[in-house]
Amino acid sequence: MRRWLIRVSFGIVGAAAVCLLFVWTGTLSPLNSSPNPDQSERSMSLGKAIYQSRCAICHGDDGKGEGRAAALLNPKPLDFTSGMYKIRTTESGSIPTDEDIARAITNGLHGSAMPDWGPFIHGDSLKAIITYIKLFSPRFKEEKPRIVHISSPVPSSESSIANGRRVYAKLQCASCHGTDGKGAGATATDLIDDWGNEITTANLTEPWTFKGGGTARDIYLRFRTGMNGTPMPSYIGSASEKEMWNLANYVVSLARKPVWAMNAEELKAFYAAADAEAKKNPVRRGKYLVESFCEGCHSGYSADGKVLPEFKLAGGLVFDLYPFGKFTSFNLTSDKETGLGNWTDAEIKRAITQGIQRDGSRLLPFPMPWTSIAQMPDDDVNAIIAYLRTVPPIRNKVPMPEKPNIFSYMWGKFEMLILKKDAPGYIYPMKDFRQMEHDAKSGTVGGQVSKEPQSTSANSLSSPLVAHNENPFGNEERGAQQ
Amino acid sequence: MKKFLRWSAIVIGCLVVVGFLAFLYFIPPLTMVPQTAFTQPLAQALDAPLKSIKDPAEKILAERGKMIVGHSACSDCHTPQGAQGPNYNEFLAGGGMKDEFKLYGSVVSRNLTPDKETGIGMRTDAEIMRVLRSGVSHDGRVMTPVYMPWFDFSNMTDEDRYAVVVYLRHLKPVWNKIPGYSPLSDFEKLSETAGDYAEHKSLH
Ligand code: HEC
Ligand code: HEC
Ligand code: HEC
Ligand code: HEC
Repeated sequence: MRRWLIRVSFGIVGAAAVCLLFVWTGTLSPLNSSPNPDQSERSMSLGKAIYQSRCAICHGDDGKGEGRAAALLNPKPLDFTSGMYKIRTTESGSIPTDEDIARAITNGLHGSAMPDWGPFIHGDSLKAIITYIKLFSPRFKEEKPRIVHISSPVPSSESSIANGRRVYAKLQCASCHGTDGKGAGATATDLIDDWGNEITTANLTEPWTFKGGGTARDIYLRFRTGMNGTPMPSYIGSASEKEMWNLANYVVSLARKPVWAMNAEELKAFYAAADAEAKKNPVRRGKYLVESFCEGCHSGYSADGKVLPEFKLAGGLVFDLYPFGKFTSFNLTSDKETGLGNWTDAEIKRAITQGIQRDGSRLLPFPMPWTSIAQMPDDDVNAIIAYLRTVPPIRNKVPMPEKPNIFSYMWGKFEMLILKKDAPGYIYPMKDFRQMEHDAKSGTVGGQVSKEPQSTSANSLSSPLVAHNENPFGNEERGAQQ
Repeated sequence: MKKFLRWSAIVIGCLVVVGFLAFLYFIPPLTMVPQTAFTQPLAQALDAPLKSIKDPAEKILAERGKMIVGHSACSDCHTPQGAQGPNYNEFLAGGGMKDEFKLYGSVVSRNLTPDKETGIGMRTDAEIMRVLRSGVSHDGRVMTPVYMPWFDFSNMTDEDRYAVVVYLRHLKPVWNKIPGYSPLSDFEKLSETAGDYAEHKSLH
């Protein structure tokens, strides 16, 4: 009995000691890390916190513009390590001023995914985040911004605009922006930016898509300073200040009405013209539709949920639908063996509008949303197919759908058919990308992805489905069914 | 005789059970239904809000918006699901997609009808367009893109996004309160990195 008491009291004392230790270290650590929090240090950690929660998903943890969502965005998020900003009041090639960065963050960059953070980030937070993103590039330590001198503006008038039109011709803006500003007659197509991404010229008749704003002053600044990292050059020295303001007035005068300002007749004419244009250039329309709708599901992801640029449209995202099983999105590139290369147009159309697979079997109404694509006008469906034909082939064998183990499958069906439990919603990624990484580590995943050059993260892409051999559908790959 | 009856009862009973199980196993519940059973109700639900629009300009914009909402499968996620599939009486009223397994925190698709209390009636046009362009919700949080696929919708033009907003504003308002987003608790994060949380959850 006494021995017992001793043991128990030892136990209690030990536990109390451990608790005390925790409490002690707990109270100690904040004291330790900042006995008298230094202003700049606090601002640093604030900047970092904002960056991680708000910016990293696009701009990447390391500021290289390769965040989780970046691969699907067009244009791509800025690479902060380059120090090349587009919207500046400084000379071509120079770093921006703090005010320039603040303006970009507050107003966003229209015509891109960069949102207007004005309502959420201001005051100290804004200062902190600017300091933080400047740290990504050593240029901000080494250089000083060379601010341009903005001459006094020329007010807009008929003669100013007429003069501006001549300057537009003289400076050959039309070679990239087209004679009408919309791109018609442009000789320089296929432009790429400094990071090798394709870039489209601004449509000068749509000032609400201008990244730096649509006023004469903004436009003057854009071709006065150029847009670093893009083909849009700086025109300093090629025209007098007065001519440049005339040109800015001319560009402002090119603006058309946006749809939110149009009346019914104008809207009718506008959409009729847009439809006619789409019919004339179905590949472009198809690209627009595929990029604004199919890509997110039909791309490959790394283990941490990042879209892999080299597997754009090559399929590989796994949808887990209890109790139906796991479905992997198909490879939509024109690869002959693993993608749509050998499918006829009619087969693709039947699959995406009626859910009938190549072998005649039916798709479930989800996750592949053929029920929605069936709502599309016929021209749009044809445009999508026309574009998919032009997507360069990427080899990526996508596994067949897999049923879950027989017990949960039967139970799930029983629940659905007999107990009338709710049908499954949309996506249930029980095994999400991180789970897949787990599988990859334990070595259960067979290397299914075979595309040169093979990236390390690509391995974790091949889905865990491949590993399970008790697949009731058999283990053949999708592309193999001829 | 009695013995025979009992045995036949047992055999028939077994057959019924096996037959029922086989029925459960082999019936493909949704691929036997004709395609129009899925597409027609959706088409009707999409068309319904257009009928009551008076303003001709607004009507054309809403038609454009309907086209985009229709093919972008907003309804697959944003219409509540009942036992018989999507409940189109509450078209786009939210809740059709839940992350039951809490991989990124608790995410539920939101109410897109113009209800003033629970839907986008409490959001400005700019807020909705910001969601579609950059995935930034009204409180400044960046949404997880595999749930609300804004990285696709971001590639639309502003004019098309505006048309979507005009269409959504004309939906039938439905009161459907959706719980807000809540991030993963520390416990969930911990057990998840161990790799067994999702697996454990998936077994129900
Ligand atoms: C939804 C994705 C997204 C998020 C979130 C995002 N950005 Fe961006 N950002 C972009 C894109 C895309 C660009 C490039 C636009 C372009 O080059 O046309 C960009 C460009 C920028 C630029 C460059 C402006 C210039 O002059 O070139 C700055 C500065 C910037 N972002 C800051 C931030 C900060 C700070 C945050 C977080 C508070 C943030 N961004 C969050 C997408 C995003
Ligand atoms: C070498 C090709 C090229 C030439 C020549 C060119 N531009 Fe550009 N311009 C571009 C590209 C590319 C962009 C888009 C940059 C971006 O979005 O990042 C652009 C964008 C613009 C913008 C939009 C700026 C913004 O805020 O988004 C304006 C305005 C503009 N250009 C005016 C002009 C004018 C005026 C001229 C003639 C003086 C001209 N450009 C000559 C390629 C060119
Ligand atoms: C919500 C995610 C999602 C979206 C959006 C989506 N898909 Fe799919 N798609 C899938 C999945 C998952 C599969 C695999 C289905 C299966 O195996 O049962 C698939 C399969 C396919 C197939 C092969 C069908 C077959 O016969 O096996 C084609 C073709 C296809 N999708 C085209 C498209 C096109 C074109 C678009 C855009 C207009 C698109 N998908 C949008 C998820 C999606
Ligand atoms: C793959 C499923 C999915 C699809 C497809 C989808 N959404 Fe969502 N949406 C969600 C989820 C989930 C949320 C909530 C996200 C969160 O809170 O993090 C959401 C949130 C939203 C919000 C924010 C509402 C609010 O109260 O702030 C809007 C607006 C929205 N979606 C519009 C759309 C539109 C328009 C479409 C079609 C073009 C669409 N969504 C397609 C899943 C989806």
